[in-house]
Amino acid sequence: MKDLKYLIEFENLLEDADNALVRQAQSEGGLAVGYTCYHMPEVLCNVGNCFSVRIRAPRTASIDIATYYMSNYTCEYARSLLERAIEGGYQFLDALAGVDACSAMNRCYEHMEILNCNTKPNFFVSHCDIPYKVEPYTVEQMRTQMRLHLLDELTARYGVDTSDESLLAAVREHNEVCRIITEIGELRALPNPPVTGYEFHVLNLVSYCCPKRLILPKLRETLEEIKAREPDEKPRFRAKVAVVGSEIDDLDFTRLLEEAGALVVADRYCYGSTPGREEIVIDENEDILTQIVRHYMLTSECARYMSEEKVAQRKITADRIARENGAEGIVYEQMKFCDFWAFERPLASHILHDEYGWPVLSIDRPYNVRNSGQLRTRFQAFVEALEIKRIHAQEEKQ
Amino acid sequence: MSKIKYPDPKFFHAKDHMNWKLQKENIKEFGGIVGGMIKETDWKAVGKAVAGDAKAFGKRAKMEAGLFAGMTNKERLDWLINGEKQLGKLYRSGKMATVRREWRGLKDTGADFYEWMRMWGMLLATFSKDLVPSLNGALHYRWMISYFCCHSFMDKNTLGLRGKALKMHHELIYAIFRYVAENLVLLMKGDEKGGNSEELSKKVVLLDEMTMAQIMAGFPDLIGIPYQLMPVFLLSEIDQLACMPYIDAVESYGLPSDTCPVPTSECGACVIDALPHLGACFISSSMPCDGSVMASSYTSRRFQDLPTYHLCFPVRYEDESSMQAAVADIKGCIKFIEEQTGAKWNWDAYFAAMKRFNLETQYELQKWEVNQTPTPQLIGPCYELFRKWNYEMDGGLDPRILKTFNKVDRLMMKAYENGEEPWRGKMRHRAIVWSVPAHYYANFSNWLANCWGINVLVEMESLNFTKPLETEDPEEALKDMARLYERMVMRRHTNGGYDHVLTELWRQVEIWKPDIVIMYQHVSCKNMSTLNGLFDDQAREHGVRLIWIEHDLMDPRTVSRKDMRGKVNEYMRTVMREEPLDPSLVDFEDDASW
Repeated sequence: MKDLKYLIEFENLLEDADNALVRQAQSEGGLAVGYTCYHMPEVLCNVGNCFSVRIRAPRTASIDIATYYMSNYTCEYARSLLERAIEGGYQFLDALAGVDACSAMNRCYEHMEILNCNTKPNFFVSHCDIPYKVEPYTVEQMRTQMRLHLLDELTARYGVDTSDESLLAAVREHNEVCRIITEIGELRALPNPPVTGYEFHVLNLVSYCCPKRLILPKLRETLEEIKAREPDEKPRFRAKVAVVGSEIDDLDFTRLLEEAGALVVADRYCYGSTPGREEIVIDENEDILTQIVRHYMLTSECARYMSEEKVAQRKITADRIARENGAEGIVYEQMKFCDFWAFERPLASHILHDEYGWPVLSIDRPYNVRNSGQLRTRFQAFVEALEIKRIHAQEEKQ
Repeated sequence: MSKIKYPDPKFFHAKDHMNWKLQKENIKEFGGIVGGMIKETDWKAVGKAVAGDAKAFGKRAKMEAGLFAGMTNKERLDWLINGEKQLGKLYRSGKMATVRREWRGLKDTGADFYEWMRMWGMLLATFSKDLVPSLNGALHYRWMISYFCCHSFMDKNTLGLRGKALKMHHELIYAIFRYVAENLVLLMKGDEKGGNSEELSKKVVLLDEMTMAQIMAGFPDLIGIPYQLMPVFLLSEIDQLACMPYIDAVESYGLPSDTCPVPTSECGACVIDALPHLGACFISSSMPCDGSVMASSYTSRRFQDLPTYHLCFPVRYEDESSMQAAVADIKGCIKFIEEQTGAKWNWDAYFAAMKRFNLETQYELQKWEVNQTPTPQLIGPCYELFRKWNYEMDGGLDPRILKTFNKVDRLMMKAYENGEEPWRGKMRHRAIVWSVPAHYYANFSNWLANCWGINVLVEMESLNFTKPLETEDPEEALKDMARLYERMVMRRHTNGGYDHVLTELWRQVEIWKPDIVIMYQHVSCKNMSTLNGLFDDQAREHGVRLIWIEHDLMDPRTVSRKDMRGKVNEYMRTVMREEPLDPSLVDFEDDASW
C-alpha cells in the first residue's frame, strides 16, 4: 500500500510528550492539561483555551530514579512517567488532570508534586475520586469531583471558561475526532483493510496526544486518503487479531505483533479507540457535565469497576469488537505489575476462551516492548496457531 | 433489660440438613487419600525420624539438665521464680511445633497452664454446640486442620511474657479464639458440604474479609460472617504454610506472582473450592486496596447463586464532597440486605452496639496513652490481633468484648501503677511498626522484644478512626459509619494520599517518641512500595532510624521468617553495635513450623 502522507509526521509527533503541535498551541495561548487515565474525561481537558495531552513517556530508557522512589515491583508506566517528570519532561504542562484510580498512578502524581517536577506557579494536579460502580449517586459524585477539582481549579488559576457553552464546544470538537477515528477504525473490518493496525494505532494516538484543533485538519485529510487507498492485492497479514487489556501507548507493541504476521483489527485497551473514540451524545434538557461524566463511566472498560454489569461488560465488549471486525483471535495483554489487570487478565482470558470460544493469547508485558524476543516468539506462535485453526476449519467444511 | 446473648443461640440451634450421601462419598475419598498415604509412606524413614526425635529429645534433656546443673543457686532460684531465659532452644529445625512449652517460673507457669486449659474448655464447649458439621468440615477443608494449632499460636504469642502482661495477653487471645471457634462452627453448620442448615444460611450475611461488621449491628436477627477470614486471612496468621496451596493454584491459573497474597489467596481459595458455600448474600467491598477490588470478581464467579452487593467508599476520604455518595452506598447496602434476608434495619440495636463500640474506643485510647509513657504496658502481638478482630472487625456487636476490655484495662492500669515491664528487664528500645505486617510472622514483635529488647509500642494498622460514633441521629450516624469504614485498618493509611501514611509517620514519631521504626516492606504491596524512596529521604531529614524488613505477607517462600529476623540482627549488630539479650534467638530454624 502507498504510505500515508502524514504518517512520518505523526510518528514524529509521538516521539515527545511536548511535541511540535503542543508547543504551537501553547505559543498561541493554549493551556496544556495532561492526563493519563480514561476515568478523567478527555473532553473536560479541552474546555476553553485548554487542550488535552494524554501523557506518555516515549523513548524511555533507564527508570532507575523512579524505581528508587517507587520500587521495582510497581507499574512501569507510572515509573516511566515519573522518571520523565524528574527529567523535566512535563515542565510544559499547565495542569495535570489526575484521578485517584490506581495506587501506582496516584503515587506517580504525588511524587511529581513532592519532588516539584513542574515549577510553573499555577501548575496543579487534581486528585479526583473515582467511583467503583455506576449508580445515579456515583455519577453525581463524579460530577462534583470534576467540577470542584478540575474545572473550578482551571477557572480559579487560569480564568478558563468552563461554562456549559464552553463544555458543549469541547464536546463538538471531540465528537468530530471520534467520528474520523471511528470511520477509519471501521475500515479494519473489511476483508482486506486499507489501513494497518500499526497505522491506526499511530492515528489514534496522535488524536490523544496533540491539540484537537491542530490535529483535526490532518486527520480529516488522512481519512479521505485511506478511503481512497488501494490495499495490496495480496495481504501481508496471516491472521487478524483483537488486542484487549491494559494501557498501551507503545507503537512497538503493535509493530511487533504485525511483524509476526498478525493484523490488529480491533483495539480495546487504555489509549486505544475503544473506549475513547465514541461520540458523546448530548441531550439539551439535561446538565451537560453530568452527561459527560456518565458517558465516560458507562463506556469505561477499566478493570477497576467492580459491579457485576461492568465485569460482564468487559467480556461482552471484547467479544463484540473482535467479532464485528473479523478477528480470529484475541491477544489479552496486561502491563506488568498492574494490580487491576493482573487479576482481570487470567479470569477474562479463560472466560473468553471457554465461554465465548475465542483463541486467546494471554500475556503480560513491559511498558516498552522494544524488540522483545520473548514476545515476538509468542506472537508468532499465536499467529501460527490461528492459521492452523483456519486450515482445520476449512478442511472440516470441505 | 434482658442480658444479650451473643451470638444469638438460635443460630447454633438451627436445624441441620446434612447431605449424608455427600459425606459418605467424601469420607470414601478421604479414606482413599489416607490409604494411599499409608501405602506410599516409607515406614523405615518414619521409624528413623521417630528414633531421631527420641535421640534429639534425650540430647535436649541432657543439655537442659546440664544447663541447670551449671547454674549458681541464685540463678536456680531466679529460674524457679522468673523462668527460663533462652527461648531459642524451644525451636527445633524442621518441626511444626516447639519442643515443649515455656517455663515461666512457678507462678506464671501455673497461670499459663490454667489459661491453656481454659482455652481447651472454651474450644470444646463451642464446638460441641454442633460438632458433627465441624468434623465433616475438617474432612472437606484442608484449612480446618490448621486450627488445631491454636494452642501453639497462643504459646508463641506469649513467649517471654510474665505477670500481668501474661494475663492480659491470655485474656485477649482467649477472646480471639472464641471469635474463631464460633465463626468456624457457624460456617460449617451453614455450609452446603457440612451442616447444610438452610435455616441458618438464610440468616447469614457474608462480608468481604476486610469489611467491618458495624453495618450488621442494625440487623440483630442476622449474623455477619467475614467470608474469607477463617479459610484465608486469619488462618495465615496462625499457620504460615496455610496459604501456599491457594497461591500456587491461582498462579497456575495465570495470575502473576507479584500481586498481594491476600486477594491472591482469596482467589486461589475459589479456584480450589476452599470456601464454604452458604449465606443469603455477600457484601463485597473495595477495601482496602486495588487487589481487594479485583478479588470480588473471582468470588462472584465461583458463587453465582450468591447475590452480591459491592460496598465501595470514596478513596479520597478527607474530601467531604464525596460523603453523600458514601452514605448513599451504605443505604443501598442496607436495602440490599433487607431485600435478600427479609430482615429490617433496627436503629435501636445499631445505636446500642455503637455505644459499646465507643466505650471500647475509649479503652483503646487509654492503651495508647499508657504505651506512650516510659512504662508501656499492653504491647505485643496479642494486643494487635485482638484490636483487629475483636475491636475493629467486631465493631461493638459482641458485648463480651467490652468485658474483656474492662478486665484488661484494670490489669494494665495496675501494672502501670507498679511500673512493671511486659518483658521483664528487656526494655532497651521503643519502636513503632509502620506499613503492613507479615501475616506469617504475627508474633514478630514478640521476637523483637525477647531477642533484642525492641518493644513495639504500636503498629500503623492500629492508628485508625477514633472519633466517637453518632448514637442519636440516624443521618449523622450513617455519615460516621462511612467515615469509620473509609478509615478502617490499612485503608486509613493507604488511601487518600501520601499524607496519610508518609507524613503521618513523622507525626506519630513525635507522639510515641520511638528510637526505632520497624519499617515493613511488603514486597507485593504496590501502594506502600510506591513510597519507598520518599520514606528513606524523609527519614534522614527527620533523623529517624528505619529498619527495613521485607516480607511477602502470606507467602513465606519469598522472604522467610528467618530472613526477616536476619535484617534486624544485621542492623542491631552493625548499626547499633549491640549484642542480643537472648543469643539463642538470633539464629534458629522455623521455616516448617506453624
